Amino acid sequence: MDFVLRRLGFYLIAFFFAATFNFFLPRLMPGDPITVMFSSQGNPLPVESIAALKETFGFVDGPLYEQYFIYLKSVVTWDLGSSVKYFPQTVNEVLGRSMVWTLFLVGTSTLISFFIGSISGIIAAWNRGGWLDSILSPLSLVLQSIPAVVLALLFMFVFGVALNWLPYSYAYDIELDPAFSWEYISSVISHATMPIISLVIVQIGGYLLTIRNNLINLLGEDYIVMGRAKGLSETRVMFNYGARNALLPSITAFAMTVGVVLGGSLITEVVFNYPGLGNTLFEAIVSRDYPVIQGQLLIMTLAMLSANFVADMAYVYLDPRLRRD
Amino acid sequence: MSGFLKMLGRNKKVSFGLFIVITYLLIALSAPLLTSHEPNKRVARPHQAPNAENVMGTTRMGRDVYHLFIHGTATSLAVGFGAGLIIVVIGTALGVSAGYFGGKYDEVVSLLTNVALVVPQLPLLLVLAAFIGEASPMTIAIIIGFTSWAWGARVTRSQTLTLRNKEFIQASELACEPSWRIIFVEILPNLSSIIGLNFLGSIIYTIITEATLEFLGLGDPLAVSWGTMLFNAQNASAMTVGAWWEVLVPCVAIAILGMGLALLNFGIDEIANPRLRTFSGIKRFNKRVKQLKAASLNTPNNAKQSTNGVIYDN
Repeated sequence: MDFVLRRLGFYLIAFFFAATFNFFLPRLMPGDPITVMFSSQGNPLPVESIAALKETFGFVDGPLYEQYFIYLKSVVTWDLGSSVKYFPQTVNEVLGRSMVWTLFLVGTSTLISFFIGSISGIIAAWNRGGWLDSILSPLSLVLQSIPAVVLALLFMFVFGVALNWLPYSYAYDIELDPAFSWEYISSVISHATMPIISLVIVQIGGYLLTIRNNLINLLGEDYIVMGRAKGLSETRVMFNYGARNALLPSITAFAMTVGVVLGGSLITEVVFNYPGLGNTLFEAIVSRDYPVIQGQLLIMTLAMLSANFVADMAYVYLDPRLRRD
Repeated sequence: MSGFLKMLGRNKKVSFGLFIVITYLLIALSAPLLTSHEPNKRVARPHQAPNAENVMGTTRMGRDVYHLFIHGTATSLAVGFGAGLIIVVIGTALGVSAGYFGGKYDEVVSLLTNVALVVPQLPLLLVLAAFIGEASPMTIAIIIGFTSWAWGARVTRSQTLTLRNKEFIQASELACEPSWRIIFVEILPNLSSIIGLNFLGSIIYTIITEATLEFLGLGDPLAVSWGTMLFNAQNASAMTVGAWWEVLVPCVAIAILGMGLALLNFGIDEIANPRLRTFSGIKRFNKRVKQLKAASLNTPNNAKQSTNGVIYDN
């Protein structure tokens, strides 16, 4: 319990760092932050909504610390202001709409890569130097160093444009209405295939290498020899004796990878015109919609902290040493 | 030193990675020799397929893709090495000093490092770059350099903590050596493989991130780099109109450089930690074990030694 509370306190501090960064950044930039942040090309905002936006971001008369506390209050009450581009929609509405699609992409691809990556990593470590290991381990390292944008563009070109196997724009066929029908669901799945595959490739190598390198360090341990000596089957020793103990660093890797996948998802969505957070952010950047851009950082930080917290909980569950206070 | 170089040469991954990286470096350094005009000059009709005159085709703006590629290589490498250097210097300085001096200073540095590790990098950079507006490649390198040191600080700190309790450090302390000498002469040389890994990893990370930021339209659109090539290609819907060369050239350029740096990294990791090796030495060893096993099949005592032919070293 002590451990959990300490971690929660740490996440609170981390979140405040991100929020503070958001507060000071516009004030550190040259020029007048208010005209930079709330000037919209095209339709001008009504005067009273500009006043509301200013209040949200703490641009009030008064000393800096007062501005900071007014801003913190709106962060704590999760009032992120309204979008400049999609006025009068609030940032929460704009981001909430697209978050579902991003969660779908990130969640599915993370599950797939965690399982496939970890299992092939276990097998590669168990047969170290075998053909599978000599192909998979360097390959996953190479794949890891290819950026998501390149992967997504290559996939789109080969399987979308050249071979025309899969649709490569938007989340479903726009002629269909969202409904719980086979036609709609299959359209969603076929549209998500390429983004998910590119995200899987981005992260799978990390899981594979993490568990492989850990398991290799455990191969000489006494309890492995013990498992063999008991005459247990090779699979049983491999998964129940070896992999189980090598799993903890993979949980850490999971927490670290979520940040990479969130970033990768931003790019993949832009390439495939997928209506998630990434695409919303892209549009916000193009139209300099600063409230949306700043809200995005806070949401991403929260997502990252939640992933870390899930990893902490998994640690408490998997590692009895942490439960002994 | 020559023994180390020999070891590098013997590792196939390292030699291949080194070959790729050096080729790119040569391209970047001899960019003025390899090109004949400004990369942003309009030289031909838009979206010409690769031909004798424009070997990599032209963009929608009628720019020559080959010229953009050569100059983009110089930009990407400069950004990668520059930011890599900043990341390594900040990370190592913070990590080693926190690990060595300890106390309140260590607590503050560790807290900052851990916070920097859980705040998502890319969205943070996006917000920064959006406020700076049309950031030049050098600005991007600097902001990446100053926001990405956390991983390096964490690993060098934990390594320093381990080293700090070793006898040779304690001996130097008892001999009243100044702290700077202990740090630079006793500790840093022992961290060289970690610092090297951090440097190579940071270069890959920076090149990827720079291309991503520019692809999203946060860079200076007039700068010549692989990221702006991708951005312009995406804007011109190059893919859907069939101008594949405009997209493929920067994609392949990034992918191959990433591969080269990754192989180099993997190889150095293997040299530093022999257990992780996959290369043919183990295969030969396994084969020999199998032969021995086949030879001794009639002595059943040895047959059960290893069921899948792998020997587990300790």
